Amino acid sequence: MKRKLRGRGVAASWYGIARTATIDRAGAWAEIDDGGTAKVVTGVTEIGEGILTVLAQVAAEELGVRPEDVTVGDNDTARSPEAAHAGATRQTYMIGNSVSLASREARGKLFHEIADHWDVPVDQLRAFNGEIWVEATNKRMSMAEAVAICKGRGVVPVGAASFTAHGTGLDPVDGSGSPWQAYVFGTQVAEVEVDTVTGEVQVLGIWAAHDIGRVINPRGVEGQIEGGVVQGLGQALMEEWQTDKGHPVTHGFAKYILPTALDIPEITSVLVEDRDPNSPLGAKGIGEPALVPTAPAIMNAIYDAIGVRMKSLPATPEKVLAALAAKEAAPA
Amino acid sequence: MPDTLTPPTITPVQLDLTVNGRRQRVQADPGARLLDVLRDQMMLTGTKEGCGAGECGTCSVFVDGKLIKSCLMPAAKAQGVAIETVEGLAGMGDLTPVQKAFHKTGASQCGYCIPGMVMAATAALRDNPAADIEEIKERMGGNICRCTGYSKIFEAVEIARDVIAGRLPDTALDPEAVGNSFIGHNTRRMDAPSKVSGRLQYAGDMVMPGMLHLQVLRSPHAHATIVSIDTSEAEACPGVHCVLTCDDVPGKDGFGVFVHDQPVMARGKVRHVGEAVAAVAADSVRAAREAMALIRVEYEALPGLFDPEDALKPGAPVIHDYAADNVVKHIPVRKGDPDRGFAAADLILEDSFSTQQVEHAYLEPEAGIAYVDPDDVVVVISPSQNITHHRHMLSHIIAKPINKVRFIMSPVGGGFGGKEDMIYQGMLALAAMKTGRPVKLVFTREESFAASAKRHPSRTRYRMGLTKDGRITAIEFEMLSDGGAYGMSSEGVMRKAAILSCGPYEIENLKVDTRVVYTNNTPSGAFRTFGGMQAQFATESMMDMAAERLGMDPFEIRRVNMMRAGSRTHTQQTLTSAAIDRVLDAAEAASRWEAGVPNGRGATRGDLDGPGTRKPCTLGARFRAGGAGMVPTVKETS
Repeated sequence: MKRKLRGRGVAASWYGIARTATIDRAGAWAEIDDGGTAKVVTGVTEIGEGILTVLAQVAAEELGVRPEDVTVGDNDTARSPEAAHAGATRQTYMIGNSVSLASREARGKLFHEIADHWDVPVDQLRAFNGEIWVEATNKRMSMAEAVAICKGRGVVPVGAASFTAHGTGLDPVDGSGSPWQAYVFGTQVAEVEVDTVTGEVQVLGIWAAHDIGRVINPRGVEGQIEGGVVQGLGQALMEEWQTDKGHPVTHGFAKYILPTALDIPEITSVLVEDRDPNSPLGAKGIGEPALVPTAPAIMNAIYDAIGVRMKSLPATPEKVLAALAAKEAAPA
Repeated sequence: MPDTLTPPTITPVQLDLTVNGRRQRVQADPGARLLDVLRDQMMLTGTKEGCGAGECGTCSVFVDGKLIKSCLMPAAKAQGVAIETVEGLAGMGDLTPVQKAFHKTGASQCGYCIPGMVMAATAALRDNPAADIEEIKERMGGNICRCTGYSKIFEAVEIARDVIAGRLPDTALDPEAVGNSFIGHNTRRMDAPSKVSGRLQYAGDMVMPGMLHLQVLRSPHAHATIVSIDTSEAEACPGVHCVLTCDDVPGKDGFGVFVHDQPVMARGKVRHVGEAVAAVAADSVRAAREAMALIRVEYEALPGLFDPEDALKPGAPVIHDYAADNVVKHIPVRKGDPDRGFAAADLILEDSFSTQQVEHAYLEPEAGIAYVDPDDVVVVISPSQNITHHRHMLSHIIAKPINKVRFIMSPVGGGFGGKEDMIYQGMLALAAMKTGRPVKLVFTREESFAASAKRHPSRTRYRMGLTKDGRITAIEFEMLSDGGAYGMSSEGVMRKAAILSCGPYEIENLKVDTRVVYTNNTPSGAFRTFGGMQAQFATESMMDMAAERLGMDPFEIRRVNMMRAGSRTHTQQTLTSAAIDRVLDAAEAASRWEAGVPNGRGATRGDLDGPGTRKPCTLGARFRAGGAGMVPTVKETS
């Protein structure tokens, strides 16, 4: 037998967006501010997924300003509307849509004043990237000027909104119910190389296709997929919190082994857009779903490579060698 | 460990050193690490502490031009050296090409590892401006990132390398032009400049005037009755402002995401090693630790439960009085008639799967500051993933109305579900209320590992019936999870595991049961996928095993069973859309998948080693590249 054997495996997956089996909600405030800038206030902050940037893009798109002119805050229960928790793959869906709706309300106030100022129907107004104009005319000005005119007419362009996701609880007997209003699906293919002498598995490539509804920020989505894949790889091959009669054995990073730069496969992300029909943005989410198919895809690839089925995670070198030895010992 | 005050019995050492080009003189505690001097005395908090053991790289700095981990260097050894930290790489308000490239590619997510990553990348390119990707990976191998999967970091370093060398124009670092919409545009991350420059302050970087330091005494036992706690000696220590136990809770003690079964500090008994028992607030971390050692706790050991199967046995020790059977939650899902489905099957497969307990390992250990504001509002600043729920729970615990409790969410240095549990904010609030001073707590890495929730370990028994053409006729799915000592998110994790259990397939007949039990192991809680990964690992393994037995391609068997618009899910919800067909097609096409039966055919595949794969790792790239004066110490194997 060759020492190093390669194989490929696939796994599919599905996931629900926002809180499970319950109604979910999030609130936000928006204001088009002096100088053509904007303020968005909502009760959550960045946990690394890029939500502040997503919210700035959403607000900029709705308000006609630039993302870098949007100030997003304030993650404070006493100063901002409830947006609830940063988890459950709910940030873009719940808070993004809430910010979208609040921004539309603020824009409506500004547009109403500017349409009246220019004496044109409000539905002919457009705003983007710091400018506002009337379609098919030469009427055009900066958002900074528009805000000054709006305020000069005695109106501060503000909006507030709440977004709801209508999940229902599960029946306690048969579990029936509609836990989410938006679902996403994913499929990943893994290519591995197994060293049959050491038992080490290297993941060389991952192709990750995920439905995310609508892409707000492609790089942000890729970053979530890459991070999810690598956490899935850790779960698949090396990570294990161990205790001995309740006493931790893996106290720190010397014993608790995490994927590092040298463990990383090349990751090819494919973003599929099946838009959500129940929300203004059409986006769904990617944070958690990205991790789900990685470990089973790797286990299926290991089987493809060496013909042993790893049913107990993680597939450490020791376990892979033991499984290979058991296979050799088994009657053909 | 931050330590701002030096007890009078210790003679400080005087250090003259150059930091970011300026000469500095400091009086350092002789026990301090270089990291402490930089962070606590020079306020250079861009250098982070992730582990305190030289393993994660968040504290990387240059000392006399060499990249070192400042948590491993005694401050006293820094006499006369020149130090460069992340704050010194570029001028104020400017960024280096490496930092700009991190901004451009989206290489920072939570950002906590990023100053260290920027330092390691800078070092790699200073050592070898022509380093190839293999060498870059090797040189950055001492820095852990938990968010990004490293890919965007590698991309950034390669762009920076080429810009510095003039192979790419400076404009390669510019933002992408925008078309007619910001939706779908690679807008650069708003928070990236603050992260790549080390300017962003996480809770552990924050200081307030008059701030005290909290330290937590933790249980050395997995299951034991607390007979008594004597805090008198600790209270009498100089520099100590208060000692807290569960007796200091003025309201209704108890927190948890679904069931409020966890006291702020152990009440009557301890249920896992590392559980908070008492806490000390003092002028310095050192004083708090010294006092903590004087708290006398008398325990009486109880029999422990360490295996979830044992927890279900008759006569098993009871861990929480309210749950005599040790069951936190059982979620059943039923659909159709499994008996009839199995009777119609041509093939029935049965197997078992298990998954391990996994740590979130966010690079930012838990940290927070609490204070009472002039209007008697109790304020807690921490990287909490759920400030809304935490304020509800804290208001009951401290018996104050909701508007007298204020949670501020500090930038979260990685969460993944692990910062949804209110495991320390209660102690901080109580200490602030008792002392009238701001109080800060920063976990050590070991403390974070021992006290925070993990991913549920699971065991799944699976039975799947199929017809010859691959159609699934019935599934029985039974999962048992170890919830550990407290409920945390266990209920919700079981619910999600049950709902998603049988995967993205339309199954007419199924019987699903997920159960989670209490044990005396480290608690399990929310972790990215919330049970979805454990369940679908079993399902996706079964799908391939079935495909092999039926002689089908793995994509094909999935297509035969996949959900479609109009499908009824396992919980009998009708789907209006299901993109599983499109993601299967996309993954198959992108990977150039060669169809075939998954019977261990790797050796005969024709689709291996193509685009989208990397070369297998063989150490030594940085030596092969001819690093000055270096000798290969690792032999290549093939």
